[in-house]
Amino acid sequence: MTEATASSRTAMIEMIKVTKRYPPNVTALDDISVSIASGEMFFLIGRSGAGKTTLLKLLCNMERPSNGLIEVAGMNIHQVTGNKLAKLRQKVGVAYQDFRLLTDRTVAENIAISMEVSYKQPQIIRNRVRSLLAQLQLEDKHDILTGDLSRGEQQRVALARAVANSPTLILVDEPTGNLDAISTAQVMELLIRSHNSGATIIIATHDESIYRHSTHRIMEIKNGRIASLSSGDGQGWPNVVGARDGAGATGGSGDRI
Amino acid sequence: MNFWFSIFRQTGRNLRQTWPTLLMTCLTVSLSVLIFSFFYLIYLNMLSAGDKASHQLRLVVYLEEEPSPALQEQLRRKISQFDQVQEIKFISKAEAFNRFADQLGDNRDVLTDMPADFLPASIEVTPLKTLRGLSQIQLFSEYLATLPGSQKVQYGQKWVERFYSFTQLLSIVVLLSGFLLILTATFMVASTIRLTILGRQEELELLKLVGATNNYIRTPFLLEGILLGLTGSLMGLASLYALFHWTTRHLSGTGFLDLFTFTFFPPGVLFTIICLSIILCTAGSYTSMQKFLRI
Ligand SMILES: Nc1ncnc2c1ncn2[C@@H]1O[C@H](COP(=O)(O)OP(=O)(O)O)[C@@H](O)[C@H]1O
Ligand SMILES: [Mg+2]
Repeated sequence: MTEATASSRTAMIEMIKVTKRYPPNVTALDDISVSIASGEMFFLIGRSGAGKTTLLKLLCNMERPSNGLIEVAGMNIHQVTGNKLAKLRQKVGVAYQDFRLLTDRTVAENIAISMEVSYKQPQIIRNRVRSLLAQLQLEDKHDILTGDLSRGEQQRVALARAVANSPTLILVDEPTGNLDAISTAQVMELLIRSHNSGATIIIATHDESIYRHSTHRIMEIKNGRIASLSSGDGQGWPNVVGARDGAGATGGSGDRI
Repeated sequence: MNFWFSIFRQTGRNLRQTWPTLLMTCLTVSLSVLIFSFFYLIYLNMLSAGDKASHQLRLVVYLEEEPSPALQEQLRRKISQFDQVQEIKFISKAEAFNRFADQLGDNRDVLTDMPADFLPASIEVTPLKTLRGLSQIQLFSEYLATLPGSQKVQYGQKWVERFYSFTQLLSIVVLLSGFLLILTATFMVASTIRLTILGRQEELELLKLVGATNNYIRTPFLLEGILLGLTGSLMGLASLYALFHWTTRHLSGTGFLDLFTFTFFPPGVLFTIICLSIILCTAGSYTSMQKFLRI
């Protein structure tokens, strides 16, 4: 904490000593401190019930932390309200674990929503929707109601909606849970494309196949605590402390917490 | 520009999704506008008829005998003491006889056997136009009756009394139907918007999550309220106009409506009714949003 932000890259996410308790007494996250750089791709892994979804929910302000500080893009998101919060959320794309698709709307309408709220031009929206559907090989589903899709298709539509508005932060919860190997590859390709164009991406998953060979940082959560935080290679994070024990280090600029 | 495009698209979606309910609400609003404006139109026309009639209102004081010019002057002063009047006119027995004969026209020969002074002399008092209201006219007539030598005062009491009690009743009906209009417009619209909001919690929730501003979420509902108020009042007034048109057409020959000219609302009143119902409906939609839209 003493020589913070010495890094050449600014932090997209700062979580300091964050705890989340659900009533009556479930501690979903316990003393989490981590710093994620702008433009980083970051894996969040752990068994079911470890607290991955809770962490993502805290980051997109769907839940409030019981303790601790969370900053996204330099703003304490739990103090931002009104139009400022709306503007911030337009810059954060989330693919929820439960998708949150509007099942009585078409695939195209679902994907368009995130762009409509930031007043993109209809022509731009149409083109973007078509190109995303093409990348996910869902072209023929353009006018199908999302309620009629298979789980795997719904999952990809949810992902397309998350990345559609070219957000600077993309939170993805179990993106490959219902997918075969080929679809998984397409999804990862789409995410990597967003990553290459500068977006910060956090992927919560228990699918080993998508992070096994990755060079990015991987944080494992166990029972709400940080179990391990691997150092990524080539991520411009020179002083990462590869702590092996839970609450040890965050790796962010080598801060000891 | 893009903001309004998005808002209209969103409103269009709402309309498409909930149009049966909206249609019912719109019909209810237009029906209550129709009821209110129907009574209000009659009331306004009664008022203006009463206005015209009271301009023509004259009190006739029948005298026991023909007053001499000096007495006429005294009576004139006495009358003016009560209140300023527009005109005081003395009618001698001979004048009364001639007038009556003129009114009879071709049948005037029935008067040949009558003495030329069988009709009483009288004073015709035209009150100032500011003298309004039944009680004031009554007071004035009571005063005139106390003049020495006066026999009887006439001004069509029965007619005036009925007219005033009718307009009074009508004004209560107008108030009641106005109250009905307020209730239906605000409560019906509020419950419609409430249904829309509750039926789309999921979508509104998602809109918030993807960063829709409050205005983006709210404005369509406000627009719905405005639209309901506008179409509701337009439909109500249009059907009133059709009714008005039909009535004046079919009853104009029968002499019933010849008593006074029946006119439709002037543009100012039309405008006010439309604005009023828009405001009421928007208020209804606003209260629902305040209660059920968690943003
Ligand atoms: N809304 C909630 N109320 C109570 N407990 C919850 C709630 N959401 C999650 N939990 C609990 O918090 C823990 C972490 O859940 P979650 O973040 O969904 O884990 P993961 O996404 O890693 O599977 C679990 O024990 C879960 O039961
Ligand atoms: Mg989860």
